[in-house]
Amino acid sequence: MPVLRLPKFGDPVKYAYITGRVRAKKTKLVPHDMYQRMLSMDIAEITRYLEETQYKDEIDEMAKDYSGADLVEYATFANLAKTYRGLLDVTIDEPKFLVLEYLRRWDVWNIKTILRGKFHGSSDEEIMKYLVPAGELDLEFLEGLAKKDTVEEVIQAFDGTDYYVALTQYDGHMLSSVENALDKLYYFRMERAVGGTLSVGGGLLLKYVRKEIDIKNVITLFRMNKAGIDASIIQENLIDGGKLGDDLSRMAGQSYDEFVRGLEGYPFWSAISDVVTKGDEISRIEARLKAYLVRYAWAISNYHPLSILPVLGYIVSKDTEVSNIRKIVRGKEADLPAELIEEQVVVA
Amino acid sequence: MVVDIIVDGGMLYGLIAVGAGLATGLAGIGAGVGEQGIGAAVVGVVAEEPGFLGKGLFLMLLPETLIIFGLAVSLILMFAWTPFV
Repeated sequence: MPVLRLPKFGDPVKYAYITGRVRAKKTKLVPHDMYQRMLSMDIAEITRYLEETQYKDEIDEMAKDYSGADLVEYATFANLAKTYRGLLDVTIDEPKFLVLEYLRRWDVWNIKTILRGKFHGSSDEEIMKYLVPAGELDLEFLEGLAKKDTVEEVIQAFDGTDYYVALTQYDGHMLSSVENALDKLYYFRMERAVGGTLSVGGGLLLKYVRKEIDIKNVITLFRMNKAGIDASIIQENLIDGGKLGDDLSRMAGQSYDEFVRGLEGYPFWSAISDVVTKGDEISRIEARLKAYLVRYAWAISNYHPLSILPVLGYIVSKDTEVSNIRKIVRGKEADLPAELIEEQVVVA
Repeated sequence: MVVDIIVDGGMLYGLIAVGAGLATGLAGIGAGVGEQGIGAAVVGVVAEEPGFLGKGLFLMLLPETLIIFGLAVSLILMFAWTPFV
């Protein structure tokens, strides 16, 4: 049943400070036309440009240890973590609760990174490079986890937390079930947290979260249907809570062509129609679906000026910026053609 | 008879004073309600962009103009408006 969300006296003021702040922060993001120019620069030129922006401190700090694409990647990760932690520091009350719930995705990212690292026997220094301490788990705790010797020891460290039940699904051979359980836990918590807020903008945020779940499920279906995996296994991997949950669940196990035909008419169809019919690689379809989601977040971010939505818009914009920069430098490092890199870059 | 009591009994000036007080007071409360949001947003922006302080203060002072209207009404009531005289 839809929940009526009316503005309550004093409610918009809770969001006035943080929305003012994120709007000012948004002006410091890399302008969209700059990505086009970055495509014609080499990695050293991109690094020099980034030194003139908000990434200066991180690049200066890391330049003694890293260079090239590695330097840009680690510096942007560090800046992302600093920015998101900064948001948590300057919010209180309901905005803080919602921002923290959203940023828990980085906790899930970090746990997955550490588990994968330990699973493949990577060193703690190597694992630490890819951590983004932007959620609830701080750097000190993550450092402690990275220093542990085995996957089991990492899992044991979460005893008593929500993550423990998901992590105990580890069977000693495959991490995919644990990773899937962590994703499901994240979206369950996020949907519960957003569904519980009665503030203006909460309804649209809930809609965004459900859309994100749907997009994640569609990507899973694309990958697994193309690989011809059994319907029951695919259904186990789908995340509950999306708006199209039942529809997508029925599509599990279909042949690729039948699945693609079934997607016609859904809101995201226009974003992928030209690439799916050509039978392109899943990565291109995935990039288009992610871009669709980012554009949706940008579109709703202006609906209610004094609500959580502008904050969501900024978080998504920052995430997209870091992801775009990483795609460009990693693409340049791999000598990919500019057109191919451009396709992966998300702009409004 | 009621009018006589109000005018002759000096109650009129009491009511005018109450009206003048309400005009300024309510305008002040209204401006305060408006300013709480603007003030919070301006402080947020200035924390990121110190150069915005001047513009921010100007925006913050906009609701203050409401108090001037209230004050003007109060002054008219107290000193310029003399009914039944």
